[in-house]
Amino acid sequence: MNLERLPNEEKLSLCRKYYLGGFAFLPFLWLVNVVWFFREAFVKPAYTEQLQIKTYVKRSALGLLLWIAVLTTWITIFQHFRAEWGEVGDYLSFTIPLGIP
Amino acid sequence: MDLLSNKWITNLLVCALFVGASCNSVEKKIYVHLNYTVPCVRLLNATHQIGCQSSLSGDVGVLHVLESEENLDWVLSSGPNPPYMVILESSLFTRSVMMKLKNGSSRVAGIVVVAPNTNPVEGFSPHTSCPNENTGVYSESYDPTLAHCNVTVWNPLGNGLSYEEYDFPIFSLKDDNDTQVIRQCYLNHNQAVNGSSPRYPLCAMQLYSHMSAVTDTATCMRRNDINFSISPEMVCDPLGDFNVWASTRPLNNTEKGHKMWEKVVIAAARLDSRSFFFDVAPGAESGASGFITLLAAAHALRNVTQEAQPNRTIFYTFFQGETFDYIGSSRMVYDMENNQFTVDLDNVHSVLEIGQVGLHGESRLWLHSDPVSRRNSSVNEEVRKLIENLQSAAAGLGFTVGEAGFSQPLPPSSFQRFLRARQIPGVVIENHQLNFTNRYYESMYDNAEYLNVSYPPNLTPEEQLEFVTDTAKALTEVATMVARALYVQAGGEENQQDNINADRQIVSQMLYGFLVRSNNSWFQQLIPSDLTSHLTDRPTNFYVGVNQQSSEPTLLVQYLLANLTGSAINITQENCQNQREDENDKESKHMFTYMWVQGAAPPNNTKREGFCVRSTVRLSRAVSPAFELRDYTSKDYSTWTESRWKSIKGRIFLVASHELEMLTLGVGVGVLLASLLLTYIISSKADILFSSGREPTNATY
Repeated sequence: MNLERLPNEEKLSLCRKYYLGGFAFLPFLWLVNVVWFFREAFVKPAYTEQLQIKTYVKRSALGLLLWIAVLTTWITIFQHFRAEWGEVGDYLSFTIPLGIP
Repeated sequence: MDLLSNKWITNLLVCALFVGASCNSVEKKIYVHLNYTVPCVRLLNATHQIGCQSSLSGDVGVLHVLESEENLDWVLSSGPNPPYMVILESSLFTRSVMMKLKNGSSRVAGIVVVAPNTNPVEGFSPHTSCPNENTGVYSESYDPTLAHCNVTVWNPLGNGLSYEEYDFPIFSLKDDNDTQVIRQCYLNHNQAVNGSSPRYPLCAMQLYSHMSAVTDTATCMRRNDINFSISPEMVCDPLGDFNVWASTRPLNNTEKGHKMWEKVVIAAARLDSRSFFFDVAPGAESGASGFITLLAAAHALRNVTQEAQPNRTIFYTFFQGETFDYIGSSRMVYDMENNQFTVDLDNVHSVLEIGQVGLHGESRLWLHSDPVSRRNSSVNEEVRKLIENLQSAAAGLGFTVGEAGFSQPLPPSSFQRFLRARQIPGVVIENHQLNFTNRYYESMYDNAEYLNVSYPPNLTPEEQLEFVTDTAKALTEVATMVARALYVQAGGEENQQDNINADRQIVSQMLYGFLVRSNNSWFQQLIPSDLTSHLTDRPTNFYVGVNQQSSEPTLLVQYLLANLTGSAINITQENCQNQREDENDKESKHMFTYMWVQGAAPPNNTKREGFCVRSTVRLSRAVSPAFELRDYTSKDYSTWTESRWKSIKGRIFLVASHELEMLTLGVGVGVLLASLLLTYIISSKADILFSSGREPTNATY
């Protein structure tokens, strides 16, 4: 979808939809929000809705950073300690590697 | 016209191409695949994993033929091209060499052991020195002075190599032409000349034996059961098979549990064996000598137990899986305790077990009994009577039978599991008084050559089958003694003893079939036609294997026992295979088993005449009770499992130096980047490069 051709109100409503959707444990929507609307929010010359779009993009970026931190920490801990957790580690895993603990 | 002749020329050329050209695979020019590879696999129990593991994409190592133990220094520290694939001659396959290689495993990619054609003189046993130490009857609670082989170390030559864990693959190759190719490759490429390091390309070997299971039995059984995905990945299987048993008096097999007024004498022997490598278990003295003797004794008793039934019933039982913490006998005792077997422990009067009885010229056998249970005077009385029966039975034959020391515990034997449940009088017959005389206990050298089962040269397989060796004669004497003692122990008349004689022809045929070649004419007569594919041209492999339909030794012993203790009856094949004597018979299947076997072909005919054998032979499941109870960390029962694997193979090839490989990769990447750059430059300047000298398409005249 080419944002150039959309009127500003529709851009704002799209940005808001993606922002609100990201709260349903969907951090990818926030990533899309940040990447897609970055130019609209910070590079383009000002227009009325731009302030709102800017807030949405900033908050999406914040949420995204939080998710990245949490996921990176959990993945590191799991990959490191799965072997030691024994039974719990096996029940949390979807695919268990063969031949190594 | 031109087009047509063009077509003809093209067709001719294509045909010529198909006829003249041949497929030339690049892979075949690089790799030489190893044909006969015997790996060592991973086995797991409640606490440990033993055996070998390779990485998922195989382990590659530069070949090195080890000359002596000092040469290990090249492999472990001074050699310039680690990791090495070490080739060991059998004389260097010792505990000290293997432990040093295991400790330096970052520089060792794998080990290949060349199996010799003759047995090493000094003896070799990769088993532990105290077999089945924790699952026998001797524990701290039973008698602490006898536990853990404090009194007698049964297997002093045992170096415990089979029970160590290695993280590189270990394969075994026969000493034949293929191995000579490998040695030649080493001499041509890898040998260090005058102390300088050998130059690339070097001869290397890659071995694949990736095992799926890891840590211990509880972990791998748990991973078997996790079923998130559609097709769960099985990683290990419990070891197990079937026990074979038969009774002299037919008993109702459908009614399990205690049988009133029934007293049973159990004559037991062990079927299985193992070695360091997978599926290699010739087990000549450790297993076959015992059960062949029991089969011959059962045959000797056939006539007399059918004419004059003794008071007590004799149960001939052949246990599978005894090598791995008494799988078969622990399961039978468990079934007896839980009323899942035809009789229960109250019915058992006494036990006579035949252990390793191969006589190597000494002609003296020893009777072992349990000192702790003999402190009870009634048990002591029964044991004394059994020993007297055996000694009087042996008196008329060519050897002597002595009693092993009173304070000495029982050697590892299935009888120990019966003692764990109840103090039953029993005796184990062995050919050793103190420690084992078997120098190759549970190794790949415990074969026909060790038992002196050898034939004069230039005999055909048929003539070898009929030839009676000295070993067969000695075992026949032992079988006769066992049969006579069993008959008297079961309450038969003492003066009937001279009628009981084992048949030496049958013993020597069994020795040939189990130790030399199982695909012979006698075995083929005794089994049904759909099972003939199980017979091979090699000695029988006695490894217990995983829990599947019965393996070759169980099958052979089952049909042999049926033929030797049962009788041929005249019923149709259809009735026989449906376990009934005629259409309305519903009762016989509880008491008897009917087997339709293919029989021999009469002389003028090629078609075999089958017949039906009626016997009391049955199979009972021999899987450890730990797997029934789902107690995978059990200390009382065997918890051995075998890992699964995807592929096991090996290949040799020439390998280039690491620097050359990196250079090739670098040049390739450089060519890729250069071509991308060139394409981008040309594409961006395309209008300048390709615009000159072009006629405008709409030329105006």
